[in-house]
Amino acid sequence: MRRAPLARKAALVAAELAVAAFVLVPFFWMVSVSLKPPDEPFAIPARLWPQDPTFENYIAAFRPEFRTYFLNSLVVSLTSVAITVGLALVAAYAFSRTKLLIVSGLLALVVLAQMFPHAAIIIPIYKMMRAGDLLNTYASLIIAYVSVTLPVAIWMLRGFLKGLPQSLEEAASIDGAGPFRVFREIVVPLARPGIIATAVYVLIVTWQEFLFALSFTSTRDMRTLPVGMNDFIGQYGIRYGELMASSVLISIPVVAVFYVLQRYFVAGITAGAVKG
Amino acid sequence: MLRDRWMSFAFLAPAVLLLGVFLYYPMIGTVIESFYSTSFINPNPAFVGFKQYETVMGKAEFWQVLANSLVWTVCVVALQNVIGFFVAVLLNQALPAQGLVRAVVLLPWVLPGVVVAILWRFMYDPQLGLINSFLISAGLTTEGIAWLADKTTAMGAVILAAVWKGFPFSALIYLAALQSVDREQIEAATIDGAGALRRLRDVVLPAIRNVILVNVVLTTILTFNYFDIVWVLTRGGPQGATDIFPTKIYELGFGQFRFGEAATYGVASIGVLALVAALYVLAQRAGSRRRRPV
Amino acid sequence: MKRLLTSVAMAALLTAAPAMAQDKTVLQFWDNQQTESGLSDYQRAAVERFEAENPDVTVNVTTIPYPEYQQRLLTAVQGGNAPDIATLDQIWVAAFAAAGAVEDLSEEAAAAGLTKDKFFPGAWDSASYEGGLYGIPFNVDVWQFSFYNAALLQEAGVDPASLATWDGLKAAAEAVTDRAAGRFGVGLFGHEGEDTVVVMNSFVFSNGGSVLGEDGSCALDEPAAIEALTYLQSLVPYAPQGILNASSGDMRQLFLNGSLAIEFWPALEQPTLQKSAIDWGFVNGTAPEGKTPVGTYGGWNLAIFSASPNKDAAMRFAEFLTREDVNGDVVDLVPANTKAAAAFLAANREGPDEIMAHLENARPRPLSPRYLEVADIEVRLAQDVYSGEDVAAAAKKACDAIDALN
Repeated sequence: MRRAPLARKAALVAAELAVAAFVLVPFFWMVSVSLKPPDEPFAIPARLWPQDPTFENYIAAFRPEFRTYFLNSLVVSLTSVAITVGLALVAAYAFSRTKLLIVSGLLALVVLAQMFPHAAIIIPIYKMMRAGDLLNTYASLIIAYVSVTLPVAIWMLRGFLKGLPQSLEEAASIDGAGPFRVFREIVVPLARPGIIATAVYVLIVTWQEFLFALSFTSTRDMRTLPVGMNDFIGQYGIRYGELMASSVLISIPVVAVFYVLQRYFVAGITAGAVKG
Repeated sequence: MLRDRWMSFAFLAPAVLLLGVFLYYPMIGTVIESFYSTSFINPNPAFVGFKQYETVMGKAEFWQVLANSLVWTVCVVALQNVIGFFVAVLLNQALPAQGLVRAVVLLPWVLPGVVVAILWRFMYDPQLGLINSFLISAGLTTEGIAWLADKTTAMGAVILAAVWKGFPFSALIYLAALQSVDREQIEAATIDGAGALRRLRDVVLPAIRNVILVNVVLTTILTFNYFDIVWVLTRGGPQGATDIFPTKIYELGFGQFRFGEAATYGVASIGVLALVAALYVLAQRAGSRRRRPV
Repeated sequence: MKRLLTSVAMAALLTAAPAMAQDKTVLQFWDNQQTESGLSDYQRAAVERFEAENPDVTVNVTTIPYPEYQQRLLTAVQGGNAPDIATLDQIWVAAFAAAGAVEDLSEEAAAAGLTKDKFFPGAWDSASYEGGLYGIPFNVDVWQFSFYNAALLQEAGVDPASLATWDGLKAAAEAVTDRAAGRFGVGLFGHEGEDTVVVMNSFVFSNGGSVLGEDGSCALDEPAAIEALTYLQSLVPYAPQGILNASSGDMRQLFLNGSLAIEFWPALEQPTLQKSAIDWGFVNGTAPEGKTPVGTYGGWNLAIFSASPNKDAAMRFAEFLTREDVNGDVVDLVPANTKAAAAFLAANREGPDEIMAHLENARPRPLSPRYLEVADIEVRLAQDVYSGEDVAAAAKKACDAIDALN
């Protein structure tokens, strides 16, 4: 059936290696810089791997502030994920099960909201946070993150829910279950892959968010990781070693979470997107 | 089931309320601001109607930002989706260390944009960067090339960094889509003697057509408004060669305290993006109409 | 037992707290954070000293990394959440004054005996706007000194003193440059940043030119400026490639690894060089033969925000920070208080007299609320010049844009 299975296999492995190289070369450089002593990143010609690898940068990077930033990021991201997914699921359910002109109109507005440039709305939102006395609190960031991730989350989950068979819901309805019970006992369990997919998407977006985090937190103990990176960037220079060490430390937990959730995420997104 | 419309509204209310208060209310304020001569140093702005739009659009700068934004968005979206698709096809084959490679491919996507940009700025550095060291030692050039400092190469360099960061997202979605393609159809086509390319064209692509469209629309919106990478790599320079809407809005508002003009750019950028999205939707409708008889 | 102790402690705190709250004013102070210096420790010590001298005041210091400082301040002011007192970059003062965000301190300063003659005149001017004084000068520096790598110059047979003239700098740069070997004469930078502007300005100033003329219109297309810009363009072949995306920080890296012979920096660079293995020296900028180099002023002023309910305490803190015996301990640029500056330079910098002369000679950037727009246009001019475009045409374009602002 196949002409030259061995040659084909070799070509595939070569392609696999090329993809891995495309991804890993910059990452390798990042790890390499993170292991170099302070002045070595700037050697000419650039050295691929440090002469005397050192963990100095990691020790410097893992300072108390880093742990605070990490905790802040974790709290804000996870809470945002939980709230966004909850709200989006409920809304997406209504969007996928209602055929009303006004509801379609609302859906268009939800998609449009995704297009707002954040730099243009940040000062008005700041004023609202200020009025609510929420600056320098987790709440300000969580509210902002939930708002900006909701549109895509609704969109993803709506596509997913549209693909679910409705016969079960109808059967439950006929058996006398109210809409809340149908939602809780039929829809939510069936939608689990979609929920996980959306959750991972929201997690990645909020984990990296910069502009809101910068604006709404001024005290050092409320900063999140991406903003904390600025500690290494001065008016006149960047401390590359420590910055790259911090970056490696930041990416590890997300990759780990991803590795575990990969299976669900993949299944979830497709189901949503196919029926989009 | 949500037979009762009031039940529907109850389900929609929390999300709609939140979006209304925290996105639409500020955005409407920004739209209003774009009709006023607002700036930090002018605390008592006057209503100027569309004058600010005339001023902004009367400058060559605006059209350069528009052109840059379109080039940036189209290139990043196209490359990210094409590369993502082929990586997905590859990872869908039986390969050694498949699970590991699938996880590794996701790395760029999970790094914060600011970090990716600083990393690539360092890689592109004409004297200290990895890319030029490689080119020089391979004898391809005698002197490091300043990718980010030349207006002819800067946009390409910025796009490459963004594609590196963004393609895993597309790859992941396409991988998932490919796994859902009906195996039997593919085998049937193989038995009919279709080669790999024909199977791709006649069986796989039509099956995941919807995924592609949704993915393209989503990445278009995200890319068009993506700020971090360009800002850190070039700040819109050199000579405005990489200035796109989000960097321009930020620079006007926070860099130069010109709130009114920033608002004007912001509203214009939503208009452009909505237009692009509308074109996609139209294309999709036209496409489905054509497909229906089949 | 433990719980009992805790509740006793809590009770003690609760009874003590109201008494403290009544007396203490809490001052919010924001400052730019330089990542490269350990300054925050000194600042902490100074704040403790201030609190000891002023038992009724507690100071809350927030240091903010430079890249985010401008946005944070602007957002805070717009959102009605400004600190009581903050350091403002000289180039922001006019805008914040015009916006009504910061207080005119003329009377308070006079009452406290803070007068222009106690500070560098350029620093004092940078805090002045339309007859008012909108900040107390805090620290200053001047762009630029030409720092050189003595070994590289010696190898090329160049006398470091020759760097002070245009012809000398160019000849030296040419003699050192060996592009194939990755060795460069002079570190030009033209990225989208303020360091690009101040260096270009200083070449214009040193040739007798100006950014804005007496009447406030753009003077960058006048002969003195054009000549300076043309000269800068002629240095491009001796600079590391990539000028249009390079910053002074990038040039520092090349200087520190020995591949760049001359870098342009303010005196702030000295601590870094003192720690390095490089055998270095400096001259005060560069001017045409027979003229004295004129640098561009940089620095920060202490401004008190109009919305602050604690203006008296804030003013006391500003007075304290700029006092002769304190100013030098809380800055990493040069103290704006001239007496403090003399002591600071003697203790911390090589060539204090030269630095002093260059500081006294320097000129400020245009003191306009729309300066940031002027600066943006100037960056574009610098990029046009460094990328080899026609200098006169580029200057004309810049001047048209600057004059259109009014």
